[in-house]
Amino acid sequence: MVKEHVYEVVKNVIMEVLPDTKPELISIEKNLKELGANSIDRMEVVTMSMEELGMKIPLMSFAQVSNIEGLVDVLTENYVEIGNV
Amino acid sequence: MMLTTNKVGITGMGIVSSIGDDVSAFCNSLRNGESGIKQMASIKEPKLSVDIAAEIQNFSFLEFLNRFQNIPAEKLNNARRLGQRAPFAIQTSIISAIEAWHNARLFGLKLSSERMGLIVAGQNGTQNYQYDLIPKFRENPEYLSPRYALEFLETNQVGILSELFDIMGEGFVVGGASATGNVGIIKGYQSVLCGLVDVCLVVGIVADLSPMDIQGFINIGAMGGKKYANQPDKACRPFDTQHEGFIYGQACACVILESESSASKRGISFQAEIKGGSLNLDGNSSANPNVHGEEKAMISALKKTGLSASDVDYINTHGSSSPLGDKTEAEAIYNVFGNHTSNVWLNATKGLTGHCLYSAGMVEIIATVTQMREGFIHPNKNLEEAIHKDLKFCGAEAINHRIDVAMSNSFGFGGINTSVVLKRASD
Repeated sequence: MVKEHVYEVVKNVIMEVLPDTKPELISIEKNLKELGANSIDRMEVVTMSMEELGMKIPLMSFAQVSNIEGLVDVLTENYVEIGNV
Repeated sequence: MMLTTNKVGITGMGIVSSIGDDVSAFCNSLRNGESGIKQMASIKEPKLSVDIAAEIQNFSFLEFLNRFQNIPAEKLNNARRLGQRAPFAIQTSIISAIEAWHNARLFGLKLSSERMGLIVAGQNGTQNYQYDLIPKFRENPEYLSPRYALEFLETNQVGILSELFDIMGEGFVVGGASATGNVGIIKGYQSVLCGLVDVCLVVGIVADLSPMDIQGFINIGAMGGKKYANQPDKACRPFDTQHEGFIYGQACACVILESESSASKRGISFQAEIKGGSLNLDGNSSANPNVHGEEKAMISALKKTGLSASDVDYINTHGSSSPLGDKTEAEAIYNVFGNHTSNVWLNATKGLTGHCLYSAGMVEIIATVTQMREGFIHPNKNLEEAIHKDLKFCGAEAINHRIDVAMSNSFGFGGINTSVVLKRASD
């Protein structure tokens, strides 16, 4: 449930950062690069998603993330931890 | 570096301003003496004692972008991608640069990218953008967009416009306070004349002032708008005895400078020739103008072009409606032009557009070229009683007049004096 909610938030952020990307092309196993995001776009997806979810975690936490699901997992873990559920 | 005997001219122009969304609308407003000075559209916190300005109102980046016709779809997509989420100062630059590029018929041409240059004439382009971000930043610094690190640098304009137009020659930012636009024109002219590039896009960026910047201008005593607070279109009165300071204006203005050989190779003619320009300093850290510095700029610009004062038939003055500034410039013009003064038509575009600060010189170059091409002198709408009786100011209505040689002046805080001389393109 929480993960689905986080993914929904991340997806909306991706559409805002990459307005040219068709929503149907976004799926959780893809990485942002495939969707046309450059390194700044990717950082922006992270900061905007954190803001939407009202959480602050060190950017280093995302260092190992390789696709959208990885990003959603890190956000979900911390979202649960800080008790937003 | 090689100095060529090549002529340098303007082959394209674009503008977004308070009195016109493109060059043709701007030209009509000039002729009709339409003022862009109104109550400000939105009042921010804190409320200031001056709330009139010539703002670009109702600007919508996507709407403006969609109005362009016959631009390659790929370029429009790139423009949308680069500008859609960018600050106002970037969005207006993209729109007016596309107009200029299209006007110069540069889309779809295979010119060498390395032979194209880019000069961004502007400083402090993100002041208001930053001002709006500060409350949120103070609460949650972690949520600051990583893009901010690119955006607060003036060179963001260089990056974005060079990517959009595939410009790979020299590119940089110039600043010169209220003379910034003319500094851009002079540096662009030199780049083309020296053969560093064949084509140079010069962009005068919009001055997006924050309330703090406006208060600074109020406190230093430079800004008018008090006496005529309830009649905004009367507030800007260059060279009128009732002038009381400048009125803030917004515009983004672009020109394409090109060498004669490049233009003739691709069969496009100059809209006007840039004969030359001069930039000299007073050695003064303050805001006050200097009559000798202004004279020197005009004399030296003429000298560099090989023309004499008696060749000039029109001056687009700096004329900002500042009592000391107007008086100083009127004296300087009288001293430089002597007996010929009574033959030289004068007007002040700032009377209609407000003072567009960084882009003012560019706005006024475009005003000069359009008047040259259309054969008129735009009105000095609010000039009822001139401060100098020996100068020939245009009155409240436009007059038809052929301009062969024009001068455009811009003077800035910090003792920065500039003057540019233009010649009518051969018929």
